[in-house]
Amino acid sequence: MAVPSGKTVAAGSGQKTASADDEVLCRAIPTLPSPLAQALRHVHPALLLSLFYLRFGALVRDPVSTLLSALPAVAVLQVAYAVICLPAAGSSAAVQPAKKLRPGEKRKPVTDANAPNITSTVVVALGLSMFATFGLQIFFVLFGAPLLTHIPQTTLCSLHLSLLGLFPLFYTHGISTSDWLEILGARAPFDEAFGGLVGGCVGAWAGAVPIPLDWDREWQKWPITILCGVYGGYVAGKLIGGTLAFGKKFGG
Amino acid sequence: MPQRNQRPKDAPSEYQTIAAQYARAKRLKEIEDANKKLLGAEAKQERSGAAEKQRGAFEARRKMGYERRFGWTFAFWVWMTCIHVVGIVLFTGGFLLTRLVLDEKSECSVPPIEPLLTWEGQGSMEGGCWHPKTFDKAVVVLVDALRYDFTVPVKNLTEAEIYHNAFPFLYETAIESPNNAVLLPFIADPPTSTLQRLKGLTTGTLPTLNDLGSSFGGTAIEEDNLLMQLNTLGRRIVHLGDDTWTSLFPGYFEANISKPYDSFNVWDLHTVDNGVLEHIFPLMQKENQTKWDVLIGHFLGVDHAGHRYGPNHAAMTAKLQQMNSFVQDLVKTLDDDTVLIVMGDHGMDSKGDHGGESDDEVEAALWMYSKRPVFGRTLPEYVTPPATAKERPVNQIDLVPTLALLLGLPIPFNNLGRPIEEAFAGIKGTAWDNLAAVSRLASAGIRRYQASYFVARGIEQNSKPGSPAELWDRATESATTNTNLKGRELVYRAYTAYQEETLRICKDLWARFDVPKMALGIAVMALGVLVLLVYVSRDEDDDFAVLDDAELDLAEKSLELQDASSRTELPSYQTLSQSLVKSALIGSAIGGALGAGYVSMMSEEQDWTMAAAITALTSSLAVTISLFGLGKSLANLLPNTIWGWLGVIFTVSQSIGFASNSYTIWEDSISLFFLSTFGFVSMIAALRLPARTDRILGIYHSVVFILLGRLASFSKLCREEQMPYCTSTYYASANSSTSAPWQLALPFVVFAGLPSIIKGYLISSRSYEALAPFWIGYVFRGALGLAATYWTLDAAGNGQWLIDYLPETTLKTIQVAIAQGVLALAFVAGTTAFVWAPPCISVFTRAGSGGRTAQVTILGYGNANGARYLLLVVNFAAACMLLSKPMGSGALALMLWQVLSLVDMVDLNGLSTESIGPIVLALLGEFYYFKTGHQAVLSSIQWDSAFIPLFTLRYPWSPLVVMFNTFAGQILACVAVPLLALWKTSPKRKGGLETVTRCLGIFVAYYAVESLATMMWAGHLRRHLMLFRVFNPRFMMGAAVLLVVDVVGMLVALAGVRANTVAVSEVFGWAD
Repeated sequence: MAVPSGKTVAAGSGQKTASADDEVLCRAIPTLPSPLAQALRHVHPALLLSLFYLRFGALVRDPVSTLLSALPAVAVLQVAYAVICLPAAGSSAAVQPAKKLRPGEKRKPVTDANAPNITSTVVVALGLSMFATFGLQIFFVLFGAPLLTHIPQTTLCSLHLSLLGLFPLFYTHGISTSDWLEILGARAPFDEAFGGLVGGCVGAWAGAVPIPLDWDREWQKWPITILCGVYGGYVAGKLIGGTLAFGKKFGG
Repeated sequence: MPQRNQRPKDAPSEYQTIAAQYARAKRLKEIEDANKKLLGAEAKQERSGAAEKQRGAFEARRKMGYERRFGWTFAFWVWMTCIHVVGIVLFTGGFLLTRLVLDEKSECSVPPIEPLLTWEGQGSMEGGCWHPKTFDKAVVVLVDALRYDFTVPVKNLTEAEIYHNAFPFLYETAIESPNNAVLLPFIADPPTSTLQRLKGLTTGTLPTLNDLGSSFGGTAIEEDNLLMQLNTLGRRIVHLGDDTWTSLFPGYFEANISKPYDSFNVWDLHTVDNGVLEHIFPLMQKENQTKWDVLIGHFLGVDHAGHRYGPNHAAMTAKLQQMNSFVQDLVKTLDDDTVLIVMGDHGMDSKGDHGGESDDEVEAALWMYSKRPVFGRTLPEYVTPPATAKERPVNQIDLVPTLALLLGLPIPFNNLGRPIEEAFAGIKGTAWDNLAAVSRLASAGIRRYQASYFVARGIEQNSKPGSPAELWDRATESATTNTNLKGRELVYRAYTAYQEETLRICKDLWARFDVPKMALGIAVMALGVLVLLVYVSRDEDDDFAVLDDAELDLAEKSLELQDASSRTELPSYQTLSQSLVKSALIGSAIGGALGAGYVSMMSEEQDWTMAAAITALTSSLAVTISLFGLGKSLANLLPNTIWGWLGVIFTVSQSIGFASNSYTIWEDSISLFFLSTFGFVSMIAALRLPARTDRILGIYHSVVFILLGRLASFSKLCREEQMPYCTSTYYASANSSTSAPWQLALPFVVFAGLPSIIKGYLISSRSYEALAPFWIGYVFRGALGLAATYWTLDAAGNGQWLIDYLPETTLKTIQVAIAQGVLALAFVAGTTAFVWAPPCISVFTRAGSGGRTAQVTILGYGNANGARYLLLVVNFAAACMLLSKPMGSGALALMLWQVLSLVDMVDLNGLSTESIGPIVLALLGEFYYFKTGHQAVLSSIQWDSAFIPLFTLRYPWSPLVVMFNTFAGQILACVAVPLLALWKTSPKRKGGLETVTRCLGIFVAYYAVESLATMMWAGHLRRHLMLFRVFNPRFMMGAAVLLVVDVVGMLVALAGVRANTVAVSEVFGWAD
């Protein structure tokens, strides 16, 4: 090869972040301004948490069937939330945040010729979430989840995480490579969807903490604590991402 | 081929040219020098130019400066190690149980209380000192590690393990002739090491952990004990077997006929046993019976079979069957006046090891036999020996008063045991007067001992209801009122209650801790940790890691040449160690003087550890003050990046977790969780890299890192507390300590794969040059091949596959030769090669574009420091892999691979200035401690590894080998620490030594924090039920690991970096 050995000159970290900041492609996506969306935005986490709370007893008794039976409900909730509160991938609102309306100004009807088909977006996003479940499941195993046993539990747990954390992102961002590079690189700005993903993942991580304790409680069995973390983390992350941290990024 | 080391992309040719020019100049100079020597022409020397000379002078000055800095840095680490040693010694002194040794001895003519019975020959050996004697002579057979369940036959053959039904004689005799034989569970007081057990079995006192450390050596017992009583009263004792007895009781045994055998050759199942068998039967013959009064035979075969194979092995069955027939034969030779006692000194855990206090380890068996009917049961159902050791167990210390009274000896002064009921209950089981008499004597002895112990310690006895004093009064009153046979039962029960309560209180009392000393130890350690943390903290001023700029370097050098007189002040990072060591010395001097003065004048006990504590505290204070004086501050410790936070979370959460027995027990899974977390985060970080190739490489290394960690996690050795949620995979089965056949393939896979993987990592920086291909491709691979052969031969020996072709001794000789060969390759040849090896570079010359000059290209320049240092890591890896079991060598290979991807990740993500690198490396070390078949329990120490390269126990090699086996993970991690600082750095890198010592500082700080945390928690939870099962072993492990990484860090990592820098700088010139 013509180019001989390179010399490594330790690259300053400043150089990298600067270049990263230059090419911001991904924007924070606010919730749609319609009253219904604004209402559902706040009802949605409450519904999720109360569903979790109501089914907790059943979850401890029989995690697999409870998780399975809760799937449609969670999916419906997530789809409803995404369709009503979030702009679908490709819509102008998803690309460019809606301008704040001045008092008295009327919103122009969205006449976007390229307006995406909501139904197909939902279906594609659901499909992608299903697909991503396997990725999540691999991560669960890599972090120490049993490899050969408890497979239904792990799969269902990652399916729930995927529906909560990934589905809204698939709905709003589609399969834009640059967007997903930003999201997976944790460079995307916080909004409800991204905050939810981060919260869900951190919650799942922290959910592993009580497992080793020798309290001999039923709820310590796999994957109940993880699910608690996922749901709690998702709701907290969504809340913070949609409000306090909105538009902000990791590392400044 | 990815050329990621081209980063940053701008004008690489410029650097190359500079480097090339430099190398050319250097070579020209060398040629010139050579010419000079050849011609010896002085005129030429003058012409060679002032600049050249001056450059040489500067080089020499730089080299001297480096050596000086290295000396100071090394001195700093010596000081740090001293602080750690002092802290650990102080804490251990206060923490591990201490018991006052009383010198009083019992006397034959002075019973502690007037006996209830009267008999002929009272107060003399002829009739019995304190109690009428039952036997004249005794044969004591100690079958080391005879667990109780080995002696209980299992009827249902489907449930029986291999080791069941092999030694049924004891059980059968106890059922068939209950008046001649008794079989009982025999509970040991932990620690369950033979030395400690022998002390308990002869003195009747509780052991203390303070003595545990001397198990390798053994020290004479000075307290009153059975053997001492026998000796004083002119009885002759003969000893056969385990030589631990001779070190505990020097000069007690009849010379010539006693035969001690070396006890630590764990691989040898037969020498000791055959020796005992050979000599015991002649002694049992009529004509020799007169030569002894007490005969002790100590068998080690069962214990060694356990250590070597685990209980679930045919060798164990064979051993137990041998013991069975031996006892059968021995019984036939007994006469009517001799009592035979067969017992285990402790049990063994499911892998055949012992030392801790799990149920399997403390449950031994006791069998007493007499030709003449003597033994009785107070209830008819007691005739059947207990099915498990949980029913009707007796304490091992109970044997002391029992044997003493049976033989008519006085009970040793320190005894806390009580007479075993079956031995005194009479053949009908109703001899309550006899039981009351022996119980009263034993109680009075205990009371007498307690009184003098309390006086010696200066403690008041309490006399509340339920206290021993009150129980004693009640029992004595009962003894005066109940004089008929029926009433004597009440007397017996009352004394028994007193004995039980006293024993409970004593166990509690000797769990007495010297809290001030513990606190001092913790304070010294904490201050040491603080110093270390501030030492490694960085502020913006000392960002020396980025001073890797060839242009700047060249400019500086030419400036230097122009102005020879200029002596710029040394940067602060270069003088840090120097000033710290100076203040440490000043502090130590002041503290030492203060401490010595205080101890020799003020304190009465002359406790020199106090002086050490004061010295350590003042010198750490002096260092802290000077650190703050140099502008370091605690504020620098606060993390300001995600990496910093990760490091803090990993370290702190683990330290907090040590407060909980659950988190301590599951530490192996937690380490994996943290390692995966790091891999996950660095994967995310890699996605943020601007260059596409970097991004892909970053993700690749992260994925490899996570996958390998998860793969390694399948190698498990479960501790008892992890059951039933854990399945051991380290050995062939949960009940063995040999490898499964498929595991033997692992070392061969490592042999085939690992060198190529290392090659791959070196090729990516074009450093697979110079010595590297030969050393890694042939020598390292050869060593791995030999290690694999060793383990195959070992398995062949264990499974007796070759028994028809090769005698066992020949096989062992071959194995030892191979093992010693590998160690010689790794350590002797390896170190020599490492010291003399040139950098892993290759120089090419080709015609330059201008045609005027030739362009010189140096392959591997960008990783000149790291690639060469890797050779040292590889040497240690080879040694560690040989000394680990096959599964362990597979795990260690994965570790080396993970370390390589870690250093690449650190380099790619620009983390060389972050603390996360050394912390993850330290975590890897801990993780692989668990993955090489260890747990934070004493019984997981693989003692048999001492015999991998040796035939017999030899100091200091055997402990050293066991240490390399036990702490292979941490040692390998520690040796690899400099890679974090040196990997993919060029020879012109400044402050290399300082970066390395900082990395080492963070690495050691991790272990120091863990050690401090386990110390604090063990001290805080000193009344916790799990103290000796969980917290104490973890503290001991933490302390041992800290000292190991201190020493390895100094002697291997730092010294290795020096040798590396010297070799690289000889070629490229000295950097600052």
